[in-house]
Amino acid sequence: MSEQPIVQIKNLSKTIGQKKIIKNLNLDLYKGQVTGFLGPNGAGKTTTIRMMVGLMRPTSGDVTIDGLSIQKDYEESIQKVGVIVENPEMYKYMSGYKNLLHFSRMHKGIAKQRIDEVVKQVGMQNRINEKVGSYSLGMRQRLGLAQALLHDPKFLILDEPTNGLDPAGIREFRMYLRKVASENGVAVFVSSHLLSEIELLCDRIAVIQNGELIDIKNVNDLHQSRYYIQAEPAELAEEVLTGIGFPVTRHEQGFLVDTESEHVPGAVNMLVNAGAKIYAVQPYRATLEDQFLEMTGGGQIAQAHTE
Amino acid sequence: MLKLIQNEWMKLWSKKSSWIMMILLVIILFAGMGITKWVNTTMNEGIDERWEDRVTAELVNNQSMLSTPELSDAQREYYEQQLAIAEHRLENELPPYEYTSMQQQVLDSHLMLSLVTLFTVVVAAGIVASEFSQGTIKMLLTRPVKRWKILTSKYITSMIFGVLLAVITVAVTALAGLIFFGIGDGVFLRWDGSEVVEGSFWLQALKLAALSFASTWMIGTFAFMLGTVFRSSSLAIGLSIFLMFTGVQAVFLLSNYEIVKYYLFTHTDLTQYYTGTMLVPDITMTMSLIVLFVYFVIFMAISYWMFSKRDVTA
Repeated sequence: MSEQPIVQIKNLSKTIGQKKIIKNLNLDLYKGQVTGFLGPNGAGKTTTIRMMVGLMRPTSGDVTIDGLSIQKDYEESIQKVGVIVENPEMYKYMSGYKNLLHFSRMHKGIAKQRIDEVVKQVGMQNRINEKVGSYSLGMRQRLGLAQALLHDPKFLILDEPTNGLDPAGIREFRMYLRKVASENGVAVFVSSHLLSEIELLCDRIAVIQNGELIDIKNVNDLHQSRYYIQAEPAELAEEVLTGIGFPVTRHEQGFLVDTESEHVPGAVNMLVNAGAKIYAVQPYRATLEDQFLEMTGGGQIAQAHTE
Repeated sequence: MLKLIQNEWMKLWSKKSSWIMMILLVIILFAGMGITKWVNTTMNEGIDERWEDRVTAELVNNQSMLSTPELSDAQREYYEQQLAIAEHRLENELPPYEYTSMQQQVLDSHLMLSLVTLFTVVVAAGIVASEFSQGTIKMLLTRPVKRWKILTSKYITSMIFGVLLAVITVAVTALAGLIFFGIGDGVFLRWDGSEVVEGSFWLQALKLAALSFASTWMIGTFAFMLGTVFRSSSLAIGLSIFLMFTGVQAVFLLSNYEIVKYYLFTHTDLTQYYTGTMLVPDITMTMSLIVLFVYFVIFMAISYWMFSKRDVTA
């Protein structure tokens, strides 16, 4: 990644009372990339995000957006950020349009045309003049996205954006986000504890636990090619497969073999020639959940035991 | 800043409660005037008091007040002026306004400003606190606008609301007075520093209303501070209204101590310098203005400090 990052989190720490909530967090975010922010409840996701948008003051460290510090150049840096912190709470007693008008007045140089444009983009033309109080959660989420896009941000930050949405709503929301990231070249940062959701949405995943960043992975890396092969007798099969030079691990009644698809028929041939009986050959995908639990050591239950 | 105030104004009037308060104010003013009319016509039936008798009674009263020894300079001055005006009326046959005239009602309209204070407290207490309780504060503070600017726009908006209600109070009183009583005969007289001259009752009414507004302004600012600090409008409204009713009573409890001179509610009613009913003898207008200003600065400093520094966790 030779490109200049849009957002840089540098040694970010937050201490509340005696408790260290966030410990020395470092993370870069890039243009056009959707980064997931994953962690168990209470890991510090929301605190980190609030520090990134100026709602909370870091104890030490800083966040820069396009090179500008969120603490020193607050007005200029936040101008480049679109924010949805948890469920977008709008003024329920006003229409969707008035809500957008309200927020547009807080940015420099947003014409009324731009409001109409954004409304169209999130497909709310028909109901924009109704009171927000009458909207469904999905509609509110769309309006939340509209207000975040109003000022054409370079960086979009979302905290648990799909909380409370139904499957159709989640899917719709995911499509919008993907579109915004690819079409507008926006860097997107999404926090969630819904693993499957993050997996579908993100290019990259940062995992946080107990206030520390424990891993950053590209989603593509997670999908490395693996096959599950079940054959009898097991010892013979293992011998043959390691003989070819594949990395092999035992899994359930068979083996997991790291290899590309073009090598599979050859391997099967050799197994058959060696006299092994083959019961199953299938591509194997470790779910993010497995990896996540592996990374965080089984989440909070395991954590509770070690404390 | 103008756009921010425009925003707050839009939000304020999008809420039903603001309209209800305004309509309630108009209804209460009309009803009050109606009741005054009714009481006057039933109680005073057959009694035909001459204005000369009333002014003479006032004159005697002023003379007796002037003979009391423990009068402060300001009070002495006030009664002397009143005496001069009463004498001038009798000499030149210039009657005062009847109580049942539009003009006198307008002159007394500043007494209704406590209602305005009540409604201003509700708005000032809620204008910051409601953003926290609705969760919209997160949307509001993640904009390229510094926090102090947002707070300023909210403060100005709630004070404009107060001024608007005060203006409505005077205007509606005039309208209701006109409908129920009509324009009465009489002349408004004032002391211009050396002699008694005719004056405009409108100017006098506005002057009294503006002086009364100091109280609305201070209690409103206090409510605004509480709403900002506690982020709970009910607590802020409750405490402010409690103080509004008990604060003045406490002046009498404190009256034997030096500290009463620095107590907020000794000074909130600025009309005391023009109606001769001073709460504490040796205070002056200048002193009141200084004390009010100091309290104002303290209230605002606390609000700004709390609002700008605090982490938003709502």
